[in-house]
Amino acid sequence: MSLYSRLAWRNIFRNKRRTYITGIAVAVGLAALMFLDALYIGMADNMIAAATASFTGEAQIHGRDFLLARDANLTVAGSERLLADLRNDTLVKAFTPRTLSQGMVTSAANVNPVLLVGVRPDTERALSQMDDVIEAGDYFGGNDPQNIVIGRKLADLLEVGVGDRVVVTVSRAGSGELSQDLFRVSGIYRFNTDDLDDGLAFVRIEKAQDMLGLAGRVNEIALSFKDPRVSQDETHPFWTDYSTGGNEALGWPRLFPALKSVYQMTTAASLILGLLLFTVVALGIVNTMFMSIYERMFEFGVLRAVGTRPGGIRRLVILEAGSLALLSIALGVGLGFLVTLIVSLTGVNYQNIEFAGVTIKELIYPVFHLKQYVIFPAGVLLFTLLVGLYPAGFAARMSVTRAMKRTM
Amino acid sequence: MNPQHRHLIETEGLIKTYSDNGVQVPALRGVDLTIHAGEFTAIVGPSGSGKTTLLNIISGLDKPTSGKVWLDGRLVSDMSGAELSDFRRDHIGFIFQAYNLIPVLKVEENIEYIMLLQGVPKEERHRRVHDILRDVDLEDYAHRYPNRLSGGQQQRVAIARAMVSHPLMILADEPTANLDSKTGADLLDMMRHLNAEHGMTFIFSTHDRMIVDKAKRVIVIRDGIVASDETRN
Repeated sequence: MSLYSRLAWRNIFRNKRRTYITGIAVAVGLAALMFLDALYIGMADNMIAAATASFTGEAQIHGRDFLLARDANLTVAGSERLLADLRNDTLVKAFTPRTLSQGMVTSAANVNPVLLVGVRPDTERALSQMDDVIEAGDYFGGNDPQNIVIGRKLADLLEVGVGDRVVVTVSRAGSGELSQDLFRVSGIYRFNTDDLDDGLAFVRIEKAQDMLGLAGRVNEIALSFKDPRVSQDETHPFWTDYSTGGNEALGWPRLFPALKSVYQMTTAASLILGLLLFTVVALGIVNTMFMSIYERMFEFGVLRAVGTRPGGIRRLVILEAGSLALLSIALGVGLGFLVTLIVSLTGVNYQNIEFAGVTIKELIYPVFHLKQYVIFPAGVLLFTLLVGLYPAGFAARMSVTRAMKRTM
Repeated sequence: MNPQHRHLIETEGLIKTYSDNGVQVPALRGVDLTIHAGEFTAIVGPSGSGKTTLLNIISGLDKPTSGKVWLDGRLVSDMSGAELSDFRRDHIGFIFQAYNLIPVLKVEENIEYIMLLQGVPKEERHRRVHDILRDVDLEDYAHRYPNRLSGGQQQRVAIARAMVSHPLMILADEPTANLDSKTGADLLDMMRHLNAEHGMTFIFSTHDRMIVDKAKRVIVIRDGIVASDETRN
């Protein structure tokens, strides 16, 4: 250990109480930043999973302009060929075709507009969580083409239960003629999300195509990836590969701009928290260093008198600030890891809280990330060394005779 | 030239004026002085007479308002800040009234400090520390921190620190002021011995009658000028 390093390390323990208080303050700030970053990542992952896994999927393929017009006549071009391509695509984990059309559901008691979704139950199970949230009846258990599955809120509105009959009315694609059919409620689900629980009704895709006059055509193919990061990568060739022939493939960031904003907000929140922490660090370290310098003014004068150059004094003070930072970082990283570990075992309960149109369904678990253990501590160290330049410059520039006052 | 007649310090027309809330306070009012190598000189005078100011300027810790200082033939005003630091490190040893050892360094580390700055090799440093500790009779205290030593022992460490790098001169500001008379006398005998043995130049700023009695040369400063300058045989 060099002379200055040895001096610096011993100097920071001359006033143990002050060093510990400053160190703990910086450590708690760093631990808080690490934990909150982990929690933000966990929350964002949770919300994305809730939004994409429940029904939407991580990506969707539509006929171009379908999302704007919501016209059932705008179908996916070459859907059979696309489905075959997706089956052979190594990136894709699951996919399912759907029809989507506006319609009305009428019961003996009431009537409500819905988005009628035609689904293929076997592939839908692999992609969405509809079958997991059935609270009455079942999810297309039999082969009856007249089965319909609706949300709890819609069932309450229509005052129907499993086994009750409802009439569904839709406009046929192209002609606009009304098409009606009688269905029997075979299942009721509850997502705890208003849009899903009162605005959707599910029937078998063949039945929907028949009512809409789509003759085998579909309006949407929802899919998920083996590696979920593909869905966030807007430059991935997948999107251009499947956006051909009048189709448009979109990942969840484009399907849910609000969710993308939430995801970006977590990064911004970490940045703001980081800046706040670094400001606290700066003030804490500068204050501590100045207190230490003023207490040892005479000593700095002696060091200068016996031949220590101003650069040596500057180096000594910066090393003291760095030593204090290293001590704080060791404590902060340990504390941050411990808190994150404990909460990652217990989870944080924000279940059934709706945010940015997404209902959080699972416990939120903080996610460990390399940046929390490399970038944040390195940032604290660098920032400390940077702000340490101020007291270091002050100590190096001080007049020797003024520092020593009464003697030489 | 006989090394004993080498001009180690020369001052010419030294004037130092402090400004205190706009009031000009003269500390030195024209000091011409020559100190030769090997002298054992006491600068005496009442408080506020300018003794400490003179030592500060001689050592390059302070700048005169006007006048010149030569240290070992080099004009101080021609030296940069770093050159002055290096000159003090290599050629001047300091002994302070309040010892002023570095509290976080052990006795041997305090003595070693200047040699570390000078880049003296480790083995040479250790040899010199061992020798000087023997000279000041503190061999058994090498690993102690200063706060575990008596005042007299701390001042002996300060003397060892000042001497270990073999400086041209040692400037001592009231070195016995905080010591009892017996300890002060012992230390003074030790410095006289080092002066006689090694020809090291000592310059004291002092009120202590004992130092004045043992000094070979006594310079009296009064009201910022040299009032008398007596060399004894």
